[in-house]
Amino acid sequence: MFRSGARLLGVAQVLSSLVLGLTIWEIAGWQFNSAHMVPFFGSDTPWVAAIADRIADAWYGVAGIFGAARPEAQAHPGTLPRLIEFVQEGEFFVAVGESLTLFGTGFAISLAIGLPLGILMARLRRLRIALEGYILGLYVTPMAAMIPFILAIFGYLFWPKTIVVVLFTVFPVLYNTLEGARSLKPEMVEVARSFRSSEIRLWFDVLLPYTLPFALTGIRQAVGRGLVGMVAAEIFLSNTGLGGWLVESSRSFDMAGVLGAILMITVLGTVTMQFVQRLESRFAAWRGTER
Amino acid sequence: MSTGATAVGAAGTGGGMIAAATRFLLHTTAGVRLLAGGIILAVWEIGTRLFAAPFVARPLEIVAAFPRVIIDPGYWAATWSSLSAVIVGLLIALVAGTLIGLLVGRLPVAGRMLGFYVNGFYAMPMIAVLPLLTIWFGYESAARLATIVFAALFSVIINVSDGARSVPREFIEVGRAYRAKARHIWFDITLLSALPYIIAGVRLAAGRALVGAVLAEIFASIEGLGMFILANARGLRQNDAVVGVLMLCAFGLLFEWLMNWVLRRWFPWYRRGDGET
Repeated sequence: MFRSGARLLGVAQVLSSLVLGLTIWEIAGWQFNSAHMVPFFGSDTPWVAAIADRIADAWYGVAGIFGAARPEAQAHPGTLPRLIEFVQEGEFFVAVGESLTLFGTGFAISLAIGLPLGILMARLRRLRIALEGYILGLYVTPMAAMIPFILAIFGYLFWPKTIVVVLFTVFPVLYNTLEGARSLKPEMVEVARSFRSSEIRLWFDVLLPYTLPFALTGIRQAVGRGLVGMVAAEIFLSNTGLGGWLVESSRSFDMAGVLGAILMITVLGTVTMQFVQRLESRFAAWRGTER
Repeated sequence: MSTGATAVGAAGTGGGMIAAATRFLLHTTAGVRLLAGGIILAVWEIGTRLFAAPFVARPLEIVAAFPRVIIDPGYWAATWSSLSAVIVGLLIALVAGTLIGLLVGRLPVAGRMLGFYVNGFYAMPMIAVLPLLTIWFGYESAARLATIVFAALFSVIINVSDGARSVPREFIEVGRAYRAKARHIWFDITLLSALPYIIAGVRLAAGRALVGAVLAEIFASIEGLGMFILANARGLRQNDAVVGVLMLCAFGLLFEWLMNWVLRRWFPWYRRGDGET
């Protein structure tokens, strides 16, 4: 009884924080010129417009006594109506599709490079010693700085954008896979060897399962960075997808479009991050009690 | 081993020198790294000579460009501009993030009210707010500072709240038992025992802040290393631009090294958690 009550209270608090946040956004949106800030519902939503009208009536009813004239009503286009419009026109699905294709292609290439190379480097000691320092250097370098080079050398179409996503994502995957695979106890390999396991079986039955939870940590980082890379590629190379919608809206001072795009990019980020976090905690048990 | 003995014995003769060099390159850590670096640079040099347009950066020309860029005051102005913005932004994020993080971690109500927003903003790719921030702050360095703070703040908050949550209950109970004042419990017990988490958070935040600074500079043409790289790459002076990238790489390594050093030096009991973005 008590537990469910506490739980209900928790849910109520989360919900009220959402309502509070939306209210603050709505009020802030109505305060500014629509080129600087727009509300969530805005004047396109009749019931919100009616409430705003009442409030203005009351306010200027009092302020009018002191001689303040009510200014002309301004349009405050809402973010939600703009999003709905975007969905109805069908552009929304095209944009999301373009963004996801870009992200998915780049991410798949990064996994295809990072996972095998990371395990290989853990297996071949000399290769690891040779490349480790350079990989760490690239891992901490802000890859955003590579965008001008990619633009100059490869152009601005789909594949150059994919290269941007790969650059943002491959090093976290590689680095964490390497660190994970390195922590494998030599005994495990020795046992597999003494049962005459071939190198291929060793990879699939020992190395990959052992490394997976560590690699997933890298994959989670890579998802975060990859989304930045995706939007950066869409903003700085050719304008497609959600990033393209974002930058085009900001160029035409369509603030509702800007906020709508940011909202959608955030939703995309949250959903993918949640998914990978679930995956990570699902496989975290494989790490065992070590570390 | 016998190779080593021979090399030492025959040192001085030509064959001995080659053997010693081979031994160094293949059997010592520094030598193997050097060899790999040499191979990478050679492949880059030959590859660009054979297949790429003449303006593409090449190792030999980068070496040639190095002294030219190093004496360029514009380069140092750009470096200082970026670095100072990152440091100021990190300090703001550190102070604000620590306070919010303590609240979120210690007060369940604040955790439920703010947790949703903190996680949402943390998962939001920081570049998405860049157009918004340039509209609000103009195409100048205030927009960059805002981007840096935004990029850094939420990883600090998340780490500090984790740290505040993981304070052993006994510490606080003992504090209460001795009638410690609230501010002592918050700042002398909770904050201190969350300190390693704060540093880990700053370590992650530093990387994000650097990316944020570069992106903001490229997007809004603000003086700094990002703009330096963009301008030179556009002007077909890629070799000069690469020197800018090297400076960013040095910053990245420096931050990483500094934070790891601080953690190891003062908080040897803290196990490095699995880093975030």
